[in-house]
Amino acid sequence: MGNSWLIALVTSTLFSAVPLVLAAMGGVLSERSGVVNIALEGFMLAGAFVGFYFGLHSVPMGIFAVLITGAILGLLHAFFTQKARMNPVVSGLGLNLLLAGATRYLALRLFPEGGHIDGLSPNLFLGLAILLPFLLLFTLNQTKFGLRLRAVGENPESARMAGIAPHPPRYWAVMLSGICGTTAGAYLSMADAHTFTSDMSAGKGYVALAAVIFGKWNPLGAAGGALFFGFFYALQTQLQINQYHLNALGIEWTSPFLLDCLPYLMTLLALVSVIGRATPPAALSIEED
Amino acid sequence: MKLSLNTQTNLKRALLSILIGLLLVGVVLKVSGYRPLECYKALWEGATGLSSGKPVSVSDKGFSVGGWEAHFSTYTFAQTLATFTPLLFCGLAIAIGIRAGLFNIGAQGQMTVGAMAAATVGAIGTNGSLQPVTGTLPPVVHLTLTLLAGVLVGGLWGAIAGVLKAKRGVHEVLSTIMLNYVAINLTNYFATHNLKDPNPSNMAAQTGLIAKSAWLAPLIARSNLTIGVAIAVLSAMGLAFLLWRTAFGYEIRAVGLGAEAARTAGIPLSKILIQTMALSGALAGAAGALEVMGIHHRFVQGTAGDYGFDGIAVALLGSVHPFGIVLSAAFFGALNNGANLMQLQTDAPKTVAVVIQAVIILLVGLRFKPKETPAPTTEKEE
Repeated sequence: MGNSWLIALVTSTLFSAVPLVLAAMGGVLSERSGVVNIALEGFMLAGAFVGFYFGLHSVPMGIFAVLITGAILGLLHAFFTQKARMNPVVSGLGLNLLLAGATRYLALRLFPEGGHIDGLSPNLFLGLAILLPFLLLFTLNQTKFGLRLRAVGENPESARMAGIAPHPPRYWAVMLSGICGTTAGAYLSMADAHTFTSDMSAGKGYVALAAVIFGKWNPLGAAGGALFFGFFYALQTQLQINQYHLNALGIEWTSPFLLDCLPYLMTLLALVSVIGRATPPAALSIEED
Repeated sequence: MKLSLNTQTNLKRALLSILIGLLLVGVVLKVSGYRPLECYKALWEGATGLSSGKPVSVSDKGFSVGGWEAHFSTYTFAQTLATFTPLLFCGLAIAIGIRAGLFNIGAQGQMTVGAMAAATVGAIGTNGSLQPVTGTLPPVVHLTLTLLAGVLVGGLWGAIAGVLKAKRGVHEVLSTIMLNYVAINLTNYFATHNLKDPNPSNMAAQTGLIAKSAWLAPLIARSNLTIGVAIAVLSAMGLAFLLWRTAFGYEIRAVGLGAEAARTAGIPLSKILIQTMALSGALAGAAGALEVMGIHHRFVQGTAGDYGFDGIAVALLGSVHPFGIVLSAAFFGALNNGANLMQLQTDAPKTVAVVIQAVIILLVGLRFKPKETPAPTTEKEE
């Protein structure tokens, strides 16, 4: 039994990490361009919703809706934070609340009985999650777009002096970040749960952002961070599936409630251990101390 | 985190945001096939307790304006005030954080642990009885202890994020979100294990009843309105005094305007960050304790509702000022209570209230200042 348990845990870790990696890449893109993006949580939820709803009609339509929604929401966050000069945390919170409320409302209206879709193979998303960090690393370091993106993220003033307006790279970065976020959400509804439930993102967008910080804003580091957090999601799931019991000191350690704390506690611990040694993109710290 | 937040939300903009939010939802309801006017009517009646026609129950007060019959439901209005109470506490909790440049998204968790602490201390003298018991402590003592337990534990939970921020630089938005999930799961664990309701037929995650000596009586029969509403308003006044009339308040605002500058001026930055988060958590914890003492008389799963998150909208709409927050908490209390009645009467989901709230947050946050002249005091460190 021991060996198959280990294989299940490893598989489960990989697939738990998939949405985190995808969302984390969105986090890297946005934050390296100097825009804090806590709206990833809402983007995931929106992606899960449209992926499921339009996926009910046809899978290509679902994918199309996920990409379009991501782009629109990303542009909206970019518009709010850049053109409208809104505090990025306020914009992110507002969008998260709006998307949580809107998806809950629409789910009640459109499919009150829930539903099931065959959707897409999880392996497709796994492939994407393996590929994307390398692609992003290459883009950031080897392309003109990547250079501009980092320039406006590190020092918008110098970039402006060099003739790079800060807005265009940021709009692109945050738009792509939106697509990453909704794609991560699409994995949840189209490939994992095969249905949509309200608030199904359950904080994974925030955990992905923690993975970005954990990985020091580097795509591969962030993917590593996502894998690390994915392990604890997987451990929690596997312990529950196998109905493993551990009672000690009068505490039922394997209670679902305590196991559910695990990923969040580990995220907290990871943040405590890494920050202070991690340097965020300089333009982010204009608003931080 | 330095918030480049325009705290000077003026009344005109606030009212305009509310109006746009309400109109937008009307459009949404219309498109989804509900009758918006009917929904607005139910929303208004649930919010204010005022409706046309003769009184329908004993708690209604009939009156007529120029021959037009109307009545005022004291019960409905009391329910709005009862919702106003935790919203005010949470709005104040978020506001004091923002004043120090901290975004406390953790009021939800702090309120939840506060409620659990109050349920634990409130149960002193019940000995696991299934029936409500009078309790062994004098009510004044027991009520005070129960409220203090919520305040203290909520404050400690908030202080965790403050310590992480001050000592390790962990961004409070992320730490408080993680602490929310931990708080909710942890309290649910206790409500299903060590502090489980002794009633064997109960399957829900809840604790046993607290002693009657820790109950707050309703001010209007059968309503959820208690003396807690007065404590909330007094807290708002106290917070205004603290922020603008004490040295501690001055230090909080100085840190909020520029952490490095404040440190240079000799203000103990770490200490202020931790104390502010503790105070913020304490206010949210008080809200949790009052919900337990006045409404549920025990901890039940989801005691904190969405008040912690609603508090963010309350604080922003109230321009992060205690008196503005009293007004915006009253508005959101009315909105929430109105949405409940709307769902009952018209079947339109009350979730639309969340959409209104989100639209208001976004509209209040818009600034559109000319981009070439960023205000140095609100935008940059130096």
